[in-house]
Amino acid sequence: MKTAFSKFTTSNFTDAFVVLDSSLKVISYSQKFKNYLFSTTDIIQGQFFIDLPINTPDKFLKKLENCLESGKSSLQKTKIKLKNDTKLWVKWKVNSLESSEEKGKGILLVIEDISKEIKFNELLLRAEKVSKTGSWEVDFINDKLFWSPMTRIIHEVPKDYNPSLASGINFYKEGRYRELITRLVTNAMENGVPWDTELILVTYKGNELWVRTQGEAEIKDGKCLRIFGTFQDIHAKKKKELKYRITADRLKIATDTSQIGIWEYKINENILVWDKNMYQLYGISETTFSGGYEAWENGIHVDDKERCNAEIGYAIEGLQNFDTEFRVVWPSGEVRNIRAIAKTEKNKQGKAIKLIGTNWDITELKSTRLKLERSKETFAETFKNSATGMALVSLDGKWIKVNNGLCNSLGYTEEELLLLTLYDITYPEDMVASKSLLEEVLNNKRDSFQLEKRYYHKSGGLVHAILTVTMVKDEFGKNSYFIAQMMNITQRIEAEQRLKALVELTKGQNESLLNFAHIVSHNLRSHSSNMSMLTRFLATEEDEEERKGLNTMLKNATDSLADTIEQLNEVVQVKTGALENMQSVSLLSYVTKIEHSIKGLIKEQEANIIVDVKKSHFVLAVPAYLESIILNLYTNALKYRSDSRKLVLKVKSYIKEDFIYIAFEDNGKGIDLKRHGDKIFGMYKTFHKNKDAKGIGLFITKNQVESMDGAIHVESDLEKGSTFFIKLKQG
Amino acid sequence: MRKVKNCCIIDDDPIFIYGTKRIMKEIEFSEKLTIYNNGEDALNGLKESFKLTKYLPEIIFLDLNMPIMNGWEFLDQFSEFPDHNNAKTIIYIISSSVDPRDLERVKNYKLVNNYILKPITPNDLEFVLNITAV
Repeated sequence: MKTAFSKFTTSNFTDAFVVLDSSLKVISYSQKFKNYLFSTTDIIQGQFFIDLPINTPDKFLKKLENCLESGKSSLQKTKIKLKNDTKLWVKWKVNSLESSEEKGKGILLVIEDISKEIKFNELLLRAEKVSKTGSWEVDFINDKLFWSPMTRIIHEVPKDYNPSLASGINFYKEGRYRELITRLVTNAMENGVPWDTELILVTYKGNELWVRTQGEAEIKDGKCLRIFGTFQDIHAKKKKELKYRITADRLKIATDTSQIGIWEYKINENILVWDKNMYQLYGISETTFSGGYEAWENGIHVDDKERCNAEIGYAIEGLQNFDTEFRVVWPSGEVRNIRAIAKTEKNKQGKAIKLIGTNWDITELKSTRLKLERSKETFAETFKNSATGMALVSLDGKWIKVNNGLCNSLGYTEEELLLLTLYDITYPEDMVASKSLLEEVLNNKRDSFQLEKRYYHKSGGLVHAILTVTMVKDEFGKNSYFIAQMMNITQRIEAEQRLKALVELTKGQNESLLNFAHIVSHNLRSHSSNMSMLTRFLATEEDEEERKGLNTMLKNATDSLADTIEQLNEVVQVKTGALENMQSVSLLSYVTKIEHSIKGLIKEQEANIIVDVKKSHFVLAVPAYLESIILNLYTNALKYRSDSRKLVLKVKSYIKEDFIYIAFEDNGKGIDLKRHGDKIFGMYKTFHKNKDAKGIGLFITKNQVESMDGAIHVESDLEKGSTFFIKLKQG
Repeated sequence: MRKVKNCCIIDDDPIFIYGTKRIMKEIEFSEKLTIYNNGEDALNGLKESFKLTKYLPEIIFLDLNMPIMNGWEFLDQFSEFPDHNNAKTIIYIISSSVDPRDLERVKNYKLVNNYILKPITPNDLEFVLNITAV
């Protein structure tokens, strides 16, 4: 027996064990057992196990007895206190000692330190409790790092990954997160301050992840033995939180920029709380705000106060929601329109305790709305009743709506007009201008335009109008339709044209009257001045011969004066009252008649007269004028014949555009029209060195032709001949 | 009193010419007098005599209303007369016209010294002579 037990007593045995006999007395023990549990002075040998200063539960003793009786081995976990006061989880292995001689006569107890195991289990339990929470530990004494499976999952590391303290910290996102965790860990290790914070990790796979990290250090004698803690994946929660914060920030910005004031009124306590915007809305400063119901009431316009009070009352009673508009009067006297909405908050008993609401300024909105309503009304009224033509026109030129004014101007009924487009009734010459301006409006180069243009009336006549076109845009700024206004100025234009013609006529007549006056004055003066000169000579002349000559000259001057007066008379007669004597006369008969009257002269000159005047040609003329005209042109042809050839005069008539033309074509001297063109029909203009030329014939001819609404013009080449064209109305 | 050496009348009215000649004789106006009946004749005649003598009349009395070439046309063409020392020639318009447009138009011609309204009197000619003599 002695030998059998003695082998257990060897001091170099690594495990701590103790051997008990059947009475549970200590027979033998290992040195480690002694060192672990006892001080050196303690006597263990021969002591009863239960007397040893080890806290062993009763259960444990039963196990020992059980082992003695049945020889069965068992395990027992207990927490023991070591001699240095540390507590330790241990596992006792209870083995029955068997020798060849005896059975169940002793027990071998082996103690195993299982505190690590227990710790692990504790950590694991903790990790399991909280979802997505992993744990870790850094043991500085044994220089070991432990990551729980969940920690590994959070870090997304492979199974064989071997972490270290440094690599653990390096998982935190570079920058402020990594700096923060380094600081926290250092602080914990040096000062024992635990941490609990939220940081971003970058996992092994590169994903960013919000984690909550908690940790603490175990410090003994100023030395950090280990640090340990947990990781929690809070990514989803954090995301939500951040999102909420963005929304909240956004709401704040929105209320600030839209200047929506927010207020809260605690009914029982009469506490009114305003945000900053509210003060702006009421035009008062935060310092002058007393914070009660009265503070709000004071700002309201006198005429709205009663109603507002009532409405607040209804909201508190729950009769109706507070949703209203009122005016506030600023201390400066300025009046603003406010829109207010509030919600009533009730307690469990259903009693209103709080009103929470908003205010915003609708002054501009209100005035704009008012203006819009007014302008809408006015437009509709104007559209209906305006004498000016008005229409709404689609972008492709179709009428959408037309008013009576437009229908009246254009002569169509509304139904007829709506079937047409703007272009259908536009006068072709004005199409390009209209279209190009409309294009400019369509392309936003201008908002509107005004154009004087012409339309076709239903009857086919022209309608002059001033068209104003304005583009109307929809709320998105897109072109919607045109408003066209058409002011009918046809009467004005026609009156203008008549007036213009009248002015032209008057101007012409004035001018010719003025010319006439000067011509008359000139001619009368030239004779009278001659006469005064001659009479002066006569008064002093004594020589009889000379006196005779002077007398002759005086007679000539007197005759000339009489001639001039007669000519002028003739001119004046042409000017006055010619038209009432107009009648339809045969042109040929007059030509023949005149030719006959100057037969002698024609014969004398051996002139060849070729008459090609149709019998059927009748003209509307004053007979005496027609005679005078034909005679003058005949005699002119004879007078201004060429010196080098015999006269050939062709008299021809033809019809052109409802008028009868008579052409007198000669082969005479011709007139230099470049030099004299403007003067040829002028009074007292002569162009040839002909003694008979008085410069009155063509002047009278022109006046006679024009007084019969006709016209005269000449074509001529020097030394080749002239052709006079007379245009007269058909008879 | 000094006489004008060379004088010229351009007018188509024989009575006026007669009268003017007669007054000129009375007051001994000029040594030599040339008469033309219209602008064209005058232009041609003056050109011809300039070719021969290199002289132009010191004074021209010019009528406005004449056949063939009137006074205005003459003025226009005489201004472009080649090679002549026209600073020495003084033109007087003599006309029956009291039309202000004519009086205004005369101002456009530097050649024209004055506008004399018909009938011409001995005083008019003496005045012209005095100016020219000085």
